[in-house]
Amino acid sequence: MLRRRTAILVVTELFMAALLLSLVTHSSGVVHNDAARNIWIPPELTMPVQLQVAYNDERIFFRYRWPAKQPHVLTDLLRYSDGKWQRQLRTPVGSDPDGIYEDRLAMMVDDGSVPEFQRYGGYITVGADMRDFTGSGADAAHRRKYLPASRSDPGDWYSIVDARTLDAQRRAGYFLDLWHWRAHLSNPLGRSDDQHIAWYRLYDSGEPLSVGNWDADSGQPRWMFDPARDGVRALRWEDVAAGHGDVRGPYYLSAATAVPFDAAHEWREGDVIPGQVLREPSGSRDEIRVQGQGRWAGGQWDVTLVRALDTGHPLEDKVLRDQGVYSIALSVHRDARASRWHYVSLPLQLGLGRQAELMATRFTGDTPDWDRVDPLELTLFYPGQVSWKHLSSARHAGSKYIAKGVPVKYRHKERQLAQYGVEIEFDREIRRHWALSLVAGVLLVASFVFSVSLLFRHRGD
Amino acid sequence: MGPYHAIMVHFPVALWTVASGIICFRALSDGPLARAFDRVLVSLLLLGVATGLVSYTLGLLVWPPDTLQTTPLGRNHMIAASWSLCSWAAVLFLRWRVGEHVWEGITNRLIMVGLGALGASQLAATGTLGGHLHGAPAYLSELMRVFGWDVYQTFYLPTWVLAVLAVVIVAMPALAIVTTRGRAARLRGPGAGR
Repeated sequence: MLRRRTAILVVTELFMAALLLSLVTHSSGVVHNDAARNIWIPPELTMPVQLQVAYNDERIFFRYRWPAKQPHVLTDLLRYSDGKWQRQLRTPVGSDPDGIYEDRLAMMVDDGSVPEFQRYGGYITVGADMRDFTGSGADAAHRRKYLPASRSDPGDWYSIVDARTLDAQRRAGYFLDLWHWRAHLSNPLGRSDDQHIAWYRLYDSGEPLSVGNWDADSGQPRWMFDPARDGVRALRWEDVAAGHGDVRGPYYLSAATAVPFDAAHEWREGDVIPGQVLREPSGSRDEIRVQGQGRWAGGQWDVTLVRALDTGHPLEDKVLRDQGVYSIALSVHRDARASRWHYVSLPLQLGLGRQAELMATRFTGDTPDWDRVDPLELTLFYPGQVSWKHLSSARHAGSKYIAKGVPVKYRHKERQLAQYGVEIEFDREIRRHWALSLVAGVLLVASFVFSVSLLFRHRGD
Repeated sequence: MGPYHAIMVHFPVALWTVASGIICFRALSDGPLARAFDRVLVSLLLLGVATGLVSYTLGLLVWPPDTLQTTPLGRNHMIAASWSLCSWAAVLFLRWRVGEHVWEGITNRLIMVGLGALGASQLAATGTLGGHLHGAPAYLSELMRVFGWDVYQTFYLPTWVLAVLAVVIVAMPALAIVTTRGRAARLRGPGAGR
């Protein structure tokens, strides 16, 4: 039988061990990847991007640099497998295990016509039950970004207002310009794709940057590499899988160099041909160029995009002017991730010669001297499954601040939003564990104090 | 209810902070001043728990329950507040139930100081999280991060730890009961009193 003093020590040690164990193991054991629920949590919840902006009388230059362990420059592949050609197009949940998804950088731009964007950035474009959200259903593939006022109920994707109202909104500038640089589908052409977000994520007018290479009728590619020029007709799966895409060899098909597919060739298991053929775009789709080359070296992408301040397409591109202040927000896809598995920035104010969070440097001549342009270090974060519907609802404690127009930056930091983005994906499980932990903590203290109260000598002893 | 909650929390914060000081002082001193302070400890703790309960209730009314429990900061504030209240109520119970014997010997004193420190640290965490929720974050949250608690991450325990805690919660009083009964039996035994 334990003596009283020994029992006190044992009880105290048990109590302290339980406290220590709780402190060491807390906030673990619930968050995990679950492909069936479209949940995949990136190992790093935030990432840095360095941004420099300069402009002259006619054009504006954005230089982006961001870390990436390796470049991912392939996407949408056609593969000869099991004796036939098959399309490998897929949207992976998280990082593609074969590393087949291109790196991307996108930037939304507004001139103040979308006032919520200035305060809440890309969050306003995320409706409820979006594509790749948990439980969004098999029919959600088309549910992509839109602006809240394009719906009679901003939380209902299908409540699109009438065409006349949408036209009026567009004329009033109620859209976001979307610059979309893609390591495979635009960079080899020295271009960035040009899109905009209004009632939907729309492409600017003009010819696109690529055409499909898959002939569904014959079940084979339409084009292939030119063996005389490229040395190969196709790539090899083992060379491109697991992110082994090599930008030094042929990795994309272009309309200028591809040759018609040779069905009579003796194709081998594992032959791979890109599923898209790049071609020169036109019209409003052809406004954003890559200055020099978008390059990956030493674990970092270095991409500079350039566009006319006024492209002449005011219904699809935001017109930028000297002394103007604009809002931008960036996103980056890396590590072979697609869809919502990206990093995003909070909205950033950009001043062209005017004081703002980032002041673009005015220069004379054709190209800026980047050594004279101050860089801004941005932190991008994994946003999780946070919709505008949720943020505007009573469930979000900050909804009353949103109603008052308080900017997101006033209340939140990137690290915090990343953490919230993860937790909302496991809201039910975390709440259950949190409630049990609360009760367990109360009972632990009560149990300890009750125990020592029995073991301590009492007034009557 | 937010402003009333903010006003009300000053009372338990003040009372429990004074109580922490008294516990430390009394643990170190048997002098008349320390004993005088100790005589008001139960009253102070009682007032602290009473005003703490009112503050806690008002805090629950600031946001609807679902809203409060949806945000990690809200959950953390609520868990820290619950544990603070519980810890100080436990100190009150112990001091009231055991009387001045809580200061008997170094082990008892260390347990009292430990419980006071636990309550004070939980109180500090609760206040820090309340500041965050109110839009006035303090650097104390960075200190908490150093100690392993990121305030933006909900504090919850994995299932296996909850199971371990359940065992400990049952084992501690069981051990105490067995020990005290054994001692009582020994005292009542044939050799008792010799």
